[in-house]
Amino acid sequence: MSASATAAQAHDHHHDDRPFPPDQFFGEATPGKIGMWIFLLSDALMFAGLLLAYGILRGGSDVWHPPGQPRLGINFTAGLTFLLICSSVTMVLGYAAMVEGDRKKAVRFLLLTALGGILFLCGQYHEYFGIWHPGLSKEGLDFGSSAYASTFYVTTSFHGAHVFSGVVILLITAFATWRGKTDAHDIEAVGLFWHFVDLIWILVFTLIYLIP
Amino acid sequence: MGHASHVNRKQYWIIWVYLLILTFLEVALVYVPGIAKPLLVSALFLLAIVKATLVGLFYMHLKHETKILRVSVAIPMASPVLYAAVLIAEAGWRLL
Repeated sequence: MSASATAAQAHDHHHDDRPFPPDQFFGEATPGKIGMWIFLLSDALMFAGLLLAYGILRGGSDVWHPPGQPRLGINFTAGLTFLLICSSVTMVLGYAAMVEGDRKKAVRFLLLTALGGILFLCGQYHEYFGIWHPGLSKEGLDFGSSAYASTFYVTTSFHGAHVFSGVVILLITAFATWRGKTDAHDIEAVGLFWHFVDLIWILVFTLIYLIP
Repeated sequence: MGHASHVNRKQYWIIWVYLLILTFLEVALVYVPGIAKPLLVSALFLLAIVKATLVGLFYMHLKHETKILRVSVAIPMASPVLYAAVLIAEAGWRLL
């Protein structure tokens, strides 16, 4: 982020939609964007490992849901999915505002996106530990008590850690944008991470929650 | 100006609507009484991949990147999907 930000300050005029010197293979993609993609690919393979382990364990088990352990709630997590999809829209709208040079609007959308992430984390806390009714951990879904419980906690908490880091990155970027220290490339790179978190949730929601 | 051409607010909202419809469809499928499990699992798997692809192409702007960047992303992403497809096929084979 800082490399492209200083580069942008060096050629001060037009730094919001300044194309990166076109490259034969990567076009106008900045080193920051390519770096983010390489990171996302390695991260995606980590999630792939978790989801495939879940698939192998589940495919090879006779009884997946041990008696006495609660089933995962679908309707509540469908709401969380809705929240993340909406936060992806506010993220691209923030990027759009930044490309058009509207810094204030970009900051507002970044903060709105971070709020979506914070609400998601609250939802996940409620699901695990319960805020207005007992959470899964109090209903008998103990970590380590079954492959069903363990794969659920490991995969969703690993995703939750990504949401948490995404929120931190979004807040830092919103602050830097407010101070005029970022350009549209930076917002796009942060957006890539955030959309990736949304994309992974789409897979986690379908594979872990929806398959009965 | 290559950057500005990525921005298409209308398209962002259209993708949002698609994602909502597909999510609703997924949840509705689970509630279909007496639906065959292999059918349900394959349908859910397919819908999730369509949704993930929509996010990648339009929100992560892969549609606007160069071919080599898209291929660099697509190959590592396709490998776990392929592995999953083999696992599902194998589980299906055992059940038959």
